Amino acid sequence: MNKDIGGLFSDEDKDILQEVMNIAFGNATADLAEVIDIFVVLTVPQIQVMKIHDLPAYFEQNIHGFDRLWKLDQKFWGDFAGSGLLVFPEKTGKFLVELFEAGDISAAESKPFDSLEKEILLELGNILVGACVGKIAELLDTRVTYSPPVASQGESKDFSALVETFDQEQTAITLKTVFEFENQNISGLLFLITNQDSIKWLKKSLNNYLESFDE
Amino acid sequence: MIKKILIVDDSPIARKIMRTCIPKDRGYELLEAVNGKEGLEKHRTFKPDLTFMDLTMPELDGYKATEEIKKIDGNAVIVAATADIQSKSLERITALGAFAVLKKPPQKSAIREILDQVEKHLAKNQKGGVDE
Amino acid sequence: MIYSQIFDMVNIGIAILDRDCHVVKWNRWLEVRSKISPGEIIGKSLFDFFPELDKPWFHRNFKTVRNFGNFSFFSQKLHSYFFPFKALNTLGSKFDYMQQSCTMGPLRNENNAIEYVFITIQDVTEIAAYERKLIELNTEDGLTGIYNRRYLESKLEEEFLRHQRYSRPFSVIMMDIDFFKKINDTYGHQCGDTVLQTLVKKISSNIRKVDIFARYGGEEFCLLLPETTLEAANLVANNLRVIVENSDFRYNDRDIRFTISQGVSALSEGDESAQTLLRKADSALYEAKRTGRNKVVSH
Repeated sequence: MNKDIGGLFSDEDKDILQEVMNIAFGNATADLAEVIDIFVVLTVPQIQVMKIHDLPAYFEQNIHGFDRLWKLDQKFWGDFAGSGLLVFPEKTGKFLVELFEAGDISAAESKPFDSLEKEILLELGNILVGACVGKIAELLDTRVTYSPPVASQGESKDFSALVETFDQEQTAITLKTVFEFENQNISGLLFLITNQDSIKWLKKSLNNYLESFDE
Repeated sequence: MIKKILIVDDSPIARKIMRTCIPKDRGYELLEAVNGKEGLEKHRTFKPDLTFMDLTMPELDGYKATEEIKKIDGNAVIVAATADIQSKSLERITALGAFAVLKKPPQKSAIREILDQVEKHLAKNQKGGVDE
Repeated sequence: MIYSQIFDMVNIGIAILDRDCHVVKWNRWLEVRSKISPGEIIGKSLFDFFPELDKPWFHRNFKTVRNFGNFSFFSQKLHSYFFPFKALNTLGSKFDYMQQSCTMGPLRNENNAIEYVFITIQDVTEIAAYERKLIELNTEDGLTGIYNRRYLESKLEEEFLRHQRYSRPFSVIMMDIDFFKKINDTYGHQCGDTVLQTLVKKISSNIRKVDIFARYGGEEFCLLLPETTLEAANLVANNLRVIVENSDFRYNDRDIRFTISQGVSALSEGDESAQTLLRKADSALYEAKRTGRNKVVSH
């Protein structure tokens, strides 16, 4: 998968990206604790470079065992642009509601459960994507704007719709991390997919990042 | 006096960054290890005065490597390098015997400060007659 | 000069908070609707004036914007409103408060650090009211004011799936007015209509808020009982049977008595779809009719 992209994104670029992502996600984990008061762990992100048309297969591979799931799609724009995708097994929805509404019982009682679930998910997705993408942007000295997140329920094979909006021949960099709420037995997946336009910029800014240590 | 520094990290870029950030005008001898297991071996043979240890590595992570090194050499000075500085993680690594924690991405000033602290620590120990 | 005018001229509320949630700017739109002047609120904590915002959800969203620089979106569909302001226009009388759609975002200083957080508030009451009206027209039965069949079928599907997913008990009652045709033929259709309306009133005042009562056909009704076992549903049905049987109904100085037959069913393992539940209740109703009427049968 990486062979024809060598010119676009070299192995060394990938190494720098990996380290930047390690730092970004590690920092994001620490930052999240301040925002949501709950200890959440993000694993070291797995990076892959692939063509857009390979994405559905990639998702199906990575989301095996989820059956029915909640998915959240949040697009971000700027030099660093792409989509943040949050995926949860459907049954964790109600655990999340309990976890987040713990201090907010009056609000919880007045709403039907389904809309609460959706609300919490949108909020959580916004926060997680914001933390990770925000950190990456900070490290690479750029700014990002976001579209409102969109939540939907579905199955692991339903990702073709997401991918249809992209040019199938384009290259994408995918970052996958598992996030877990410690001691709560709630975990899910976070994917960041950057499009081809960002890759050129990424290559330059990653090398700038490395050079910044020489100063 | 710090003469030898061991850098343990699975990311070649992280190691490169550390090499860049550590002052070059003090005559330090630097050695690298690519994971915890190699870090353990090289600590034994290289006998560094200071080790920078990344925490998230395959084949023996930084926590375990720190623990193992401290078992063999209780005086080993190990500075944990990590991007995740939640207090829970800090408590854990400090309990295992880390001398200090360096937040990633590393700042040259932070590294200088740590080097100063380690120098003071080593000088104190030598004065107190704690020989190896 | 133009920019500062925009702040007070636009038809949306704009508030600017510092990193500790103290108000730094409060525009004219907000002043008019909150009846709080900038002079009163600037420099103070937002929560001094709006303590209901001092909750985990607000802090989470505020912090994510302040710390990560992303946006928080609050749509009316999920949140209804942010600030409790009175709805201004007449259509708004359907709502206790102005319906709002809000966004929070970061504001940076020259060093690119996030110094402030802005909140924009849009009044979407009119749109929300129209939406509600549209939904009502689509889901209400004209004569009785309760839900219509279209609404019932979609709600049944929704409730069925949800109860099935979380393994919760769920029951359905199909009911039918006994000898309704005879009432129409004997006393006229207007009487028949009034009977329907009376029945609806009686049933409605004897069920819970979460129960869904709908007109299924001419004289046929359906009652969805969430979180209810078959046994409990049977009790409900029998209770309703007695209430209807004993109710006094006068039309044009005539005392008219009527009764209902009911079929009850509950969600059980192996039920393929919502339709299965309905079919079971329907066949139970048929049996109730066949075996004497004014009766409850469960399947």
